[in-house]
Amino acid sequence: MVLQHVGRIRTMSVVVAVAGAVALAGCGSSSKSSSSSAASTPQGASTGSSSTSSTSASVNTSSCGTKPGVKATGTPIPLGAIVTSQPGTSFTDIANMANAYFTCVNDNGGINGHPIKYYIETEQTNPAQIAADAKQLVDTDHVVGIVGNTSIIECSIDASFWQKLGYYVIASGIAPECYSTPNYADVNMGPRYSSDGAVQYALAMHVSKIVFDQSNVPGTGYIAGGPAALAAAAHVPIVQLTENVPISDASSVAIKEVDDAGPNGAVVLNFTPPEALVILQAAQKLGLEDRVKAWGCSTPCNTDFLAKALGPKWNGKLFVNAELTPPDDTSSPAMNLYKAIFKQYGSAVSGGIGSFSQMGFTEAEIAVHALESIKGPYTVASVNAAFKAVSNYNTGMLCQLWTYGSYPTHIANNMDYTVTPDNGRMVKAPNGGCTLISSVDPQVAAYRRAAGTAPQAPTS
Amino acid sequence: MPSWQDFQPFIVSGLALGGVYALSGVGLVVLYRATGVVYLAFGAVGAMGALIAWSLINHAAFPDWAAWIVAIVFSAAITLAYGMVFGAALAKREPLVKAAATLGLLLVLFGVMDLLWTSSGGASRSLSLPTDNGGFQVGSVQVVWTQVIAVGIGVAIAAATGAFLRFTKLGTAMRAMANDREITATLGVPVRRVEAAAWLGCGALSGVAGLLLADLVALDATTLTFLVISSLAAALIARLRSIALTFVAAMVVGLVHDLLTPIQSLTNYRDMTPFVLAAVALLLLSQRRVISLSREEA
Repeated sequence: MVLQHVGRIRTMSVVVAVAGAVALAGCGSSSKSSSSSAASTPQGASTGSSSTSSTSASVNTSSCGTKPGVKATGTPIPLGAIVTSQPGTSFTDIANMANAYFTCVNDNGGINGHPIKYYIETEQTNPAQIAADAKQLVDTDHVVGIVGNTSIIECSIDASFWQKLGYYVIASGIAPECYSTPNYADVNMGPRYSSDGAVQYALAMHVSKIVFDQSNVPGTGYIAGGPAALAAAAHVPIVQLTENVPISDASSVAIKEVDDAGPNGAVVLNFTPPEALVILQAAQKLGLEDRVKAWGCSTPCNTDFLAKALGPKWNGKLFVNAELTPPDDTSSPAMNLYKAIFKQYGSAVSGGIGSFSQMGFTEAEIAVHALESIKGPYTVASVNAAFKAVSNYNTGMLCQLWTYGSYPTHIANNMDYTVTPDNGRMVKAPNGGCTLISSVDPQVAAYRRAAGTAPQAPTS
Repeated sequence: MPSWQDFQPFIVSGLALGGVYALSGVGLVVLYRATGVVYLAFGAVGAMGALIAWSLINHAAFPDWAAWIVAIVFSAAITLAYGMVFGAALAKREPLVKAAATLGLLLVLFGVMDLLWTSSGGASRSLSLPTDNGGFQVGSVQVVWTQVIAVGIGVAIAAATGAFLRFTKLGTAMRAMANDREITATLGVPVRRVEAAAWLGCGALSGVAGLLLADLVALDATTLTFLVISSLAAALIARLRSIALTFVAAMVVGLVHDLLTPIQSLTNYRDMTPFVLAAVALLLLSQRRVISLSREEA
């Protein structure tokens, strides 16, 4: 009997050990995925207004190049990118859309007759692997420029490497170093400034309190700094919450947020779309959506997936920061070219029309614009000088003109839209047109002191 | 410290989660008693069933009820298939080997789910049961029918399984196998068939739990796969034996977890609840073992 008991205890100890291993695996994978979430998480970049309805293109893709229909046959110009691709977190759509743009350019004259050869390295949030990827791009592939990087930690790992070698990266940023170092400039705002935008919109609604809730992952303190500064300047109390992800008790989280905010307050979320969705749906099931004055969300919530899953109860109730021009509402030449390129060349872009592929398009568009300005050979020096020289460029995808420049920090996209669900789509919210992110955020203020305030884009 | 009123809504959500943990924990205990296998893939199987149901509803225009049945049948079938293919080979292996083998199934399913239901491009999914649309008010607390059903199913499955193990021939055979598989076989019990019934039942419960958790928590492969940890903690607290104790432990895990939410200083540690409770239970069990050994020595 005693032996049997001992055996059972041993069995249970073994099970606890295995369960611990499973839990660790879960943490790892969730931190990948929750990392897909916040600060150092994909959340920042996972801005995905994903529309499936607007892929009809009225523009011929040949307008992407200077010689329509003529394939480029010269010496290739090698460019590279490093993107996160792991279970639960994939940014490959961004590089794949950039590649689609480059392919279009190659089919229509290239860069002065030279095709672009684009090397995409994927990584799994492993610092050693990321450093090796960067070395491979430089030493083996001999790339002359880095375009389309989107990674949870790549900026943190490689910032000094690029600086040392003189590469000026055009990227979609997530980690703080993507915005706070001289050699990265991003087309997106990232989690901090997008959260600023969402809080700013809520404050404009004269709420009495802000509850700002985000994933409990490294970097949350950096993100929280922006909303805290905005709320303090408006003399509105702010409660900062963090949640372990993946969230296993969404109802509790929603109840806590609403209780803390009060009837005249606002709840602002900074999570990946799946995590934000479970909180908002739990709130809806419990009838909490009307228990606060407003719900806000940083850019990751800008997805039609989310709008569809939420349904009409959230129309005009949830306000989402949008870093890029909403594709459904826009018919500018750049937007139409983007849709046409996606249709003809974007078979590898799994997420469809949306912010991810918009970012890839925009980064490639800026790179091509810079490359076309080069007279002479395409070297690391000439290409990166051209990238750095991009100034007040109208991408057609952003609220304001885009500038790289020689600045210690880069928040090149600091003017945003606000969207709200409308029967399964995200549309511009009332007063949700282009609005500058407040300089009350000390990081934004520092950038504007150095770079000034870029003009609003004529197409926005 | 929050007031009693502040805690009330968390009691409801905690009980609902506890109900589903109980349902899962009972499935794990029944399978363990019959086969000696701790089925770590329980959550992943349920998650895949729920994702299949979501696809059938949203992309194949299946009626909801038909999709739910497919989810449960899939979960039962894949669990049974695993048991039939690997059960005999693992029967005489160490508990760790048996558990690690189910971890292999978990990882395979996890990879397949990531491939088929990718989260790139901001994709997010949800599976809502019609019972979400109704409910009632208890004081200031809104109770949704799905939460009531979760608790109800947890109670019903625990009671039915307890009765099944106690009063049916198959249940008696399962209990006998828990004590000694070899002796049970020599007594003429069709061991493979009894094991198959346990695998099938456990799989069906994982399908039901997957659907309920997809609604109550999230339709997300990672989340659902690793929610098995809470159920496993409940099963461990019950020493992988007692159905009644598994039920009680599961409800306690769910309740304690959610009741910690409004307490600011503890809220970020509430996910430790299943581990802490399981560790405390194991410590107490170890003490009892020392005492019983001492008594025998005396």
